[in-house]
Amino acid sequence: MKYCSHCKVYIRGDKLQCTLCENSLPDTHEEEETLFPTISLIFESHLALRITAFISIAALVVSFALKEIFPSNINSPLFVLLALLTMWLSLIVVIRKRHNIAKTIMWQVSLLSILSILWDWRIGWRGWSLDYILPISYVSAMFVMYITAKIMRLSVRDYIVYLLLDALFGIIPIIFVLFDWITVYYPSIICVAISIIFLAAILIFEGENIKIELDKRMHI
Amino acid sequence: MKLKQSKSVEWTKLDNASKYFPATANELDTKVFRLSCELYEMIDPNILQKALNKTIESFPFFKSILRRGVFWYYFESSDLIPEVSEESLSICAPIYNKNTKNLLFRVFYYHKRISFEIFHALSDGKGALLFLQTLVYHYLFYRYEEQFKNYKPALDYNASIKKKMDDSFNKHFIGDNGFTRNVIDHNKRIKAHKIRGKRTEENRMKLIEGSMSVKAVLSEVKKDNTSLTIYLAALFIYSIYKEMNALERRRPIVLSVPINLRQFFESDTARNFFSTINISYQFRKEETELKDIIESITESFQKDLTVDKINYKINRLISLEKNPFMRIIPLPIKDYSIRIANKLVDRGITGAISNIGKVQMPEEFEPYIRQFTVCTSARRPQICMCSYGDQLVISFTSPFKDTEIQRRFFEHLSNKGIQIEISSNM
Repeated sequence: MKYCSHCKVYIRGDKLQCTLCENSLPDTHEEEETLFPTISLIFESHLALRITAFISIAALVVSFALKEIFPSNINSPLFVLLALLTMWLSLIVVIRKRHNIAKTIMWQVSLLSILSILWDWRIGWRGWSLDYILPISYVSAMFVMYITAKIMRLSVRDYIVYLLLDALFGIIPIIFVLFDWITVYYPSIICVAISIIFLAAILIFEGENIKIELDKRMHI
Repeated sequence: MKLKQSKSVEWTKLDNASKYFPATANELDTKVFRLSCELYEMIDPNILQKALNKTIESFPFFKSILRRGVFWYYFESSDLIPEVSEESLSICAPIYNKNTKNLLFRVFYYHKRISFEIFHALSDGKGALLFLQTLVYHYLFYRYEEQFKNYKPALDYNASIKKKMDDSFNKHFIGDNGFTRNVIDHNKRIKAHKIRGKRTEENRMKLIEGSMSVKAVLSEVKKDNTSLTIYLAALFIYSIYKEMNALERRRPIVLSVPINLRQFFESDTARNFFSTINISYQFRKEETELKDIIESITESFQKDLTVDKINYKINRLISLEKNPFMRIIPLPIKDYSIRIANKLVDRGITGAISNIGKVQMPEEFEPYIRQFTVCTSARRPQICMCSYGDQLVISFTSPFKDTEIQRRFFEHLSNKGIQIEISSNM
């Protein structure tokens, strides 16, 4: 074992300098043990993310410049901004929640609802968000979630709460019908009908599982 | 009609101390600590896996995963099978990932050393030590099967599985202090000296272990008429003091010392059951000697390390947890508040020193075990120590490249004639 005469300690391991004072250690011509593995530094370049960030900023700047050069009624920079926002938010949600597919779907649906309403409103309210997007996304989400869960053989407990949440979301369009906020009725009515059927199926067939899951997740 | 068997999943609430760790764990301070046992020969991974399978049977709670509920975190039992692997990550690398479902510990080996890293929410030093002791016990028993064919050495920890899973905080404290708004004591809102330095690459932890004879250190400690922990805490403060400039000496040095509650309250639990006390020392304009610090700290320990004070502190934390308004706050907001409170409390702490105590193993295994070591992830220089037989191992972990404090610490001991062996990962 090597010895540091400055600190008066023995140094274990294959070291050229004293751990404490960094003076060089005399060679002992013995085979020294390795006590710790060398772990290489990880450098994640995140190249794809950086390129996307760069393109986003470039696109935004170009849209502003074009608007100044060719004035028009359409507020294109705002579209570009909203489009980029939508894309980034979706990307972030998918990356962060990718391990839990049911949760990702729920987040995406909520995001889609809010953003589509935002888009609709900024473009000059035509109502397509409430008419079509919301009901269709809720119904698709329920089917996608159920099919994905079956394909990936998720255990019921993992996705049942999100399915329940989505079925409840799917009943929201009934408000649009009652308050007459929409012009096209059939997507919302189909959505509400399918949601209520789904809800009934969940409560009847997986009622106990839901109770156990909710007890667990909502314990205070 | 075939009846499907419904499988119920067991879940448990986190105990009072555990609730703090998932909220505050991050890249810089992973809240992971490591216990190692060094043998005299290379580790056989197959035998280690076999020993792990056997050990986990008596600690089924350790197979839990951490989940987020709406109001609180909770443990859920899992079917995940722990696997041993060769050491390939930096020391106390992150374990808890809120997006994945994984075990909260890892068992690995490197050359002659078995290591066990665990996320602090699952257990404290004492609980983790019980697990490692059982693991090493089974490993050595399988490894040297021929020698122990006729009789099996007894392992000194025979608590029932239910007792091991016990939430001892809940058992001994009811939290009847009423709702106190200030969990942080008024008189504790002092700013302590902060050790600064250049960080290591990728925020890796620099570990420096010093291994020495317990008897040699104790004979030195007795000269100052004090105990081992107090002596070493004073030496730690002294070493930090020697590196402070005149401006920095205006602030006191405050060390956080974890206390194992199992020595005050009856408990066999393998989960968290600890509290902390703060030991501080304020420097005056004159030169300070080590014995001044020892005197002052001994007083602090005697004052603060009483059952009454501990009771008061923990009851306050428990009453906070049980308060109805607190309980209905959603988890993300709770997490955020705990992080803020943690930052405030951290301003009043310079470093920490933790003594796990003596590790006992059956005598028959003594010729095979070289030493046990313990270290923890740290955002500021931290000492952990434990002893096995006559081997005392003091481990420094620090996020900084600088080693002056460690050098002064070990040099002081080596100057007293104590033989020290230093190991380090960088």
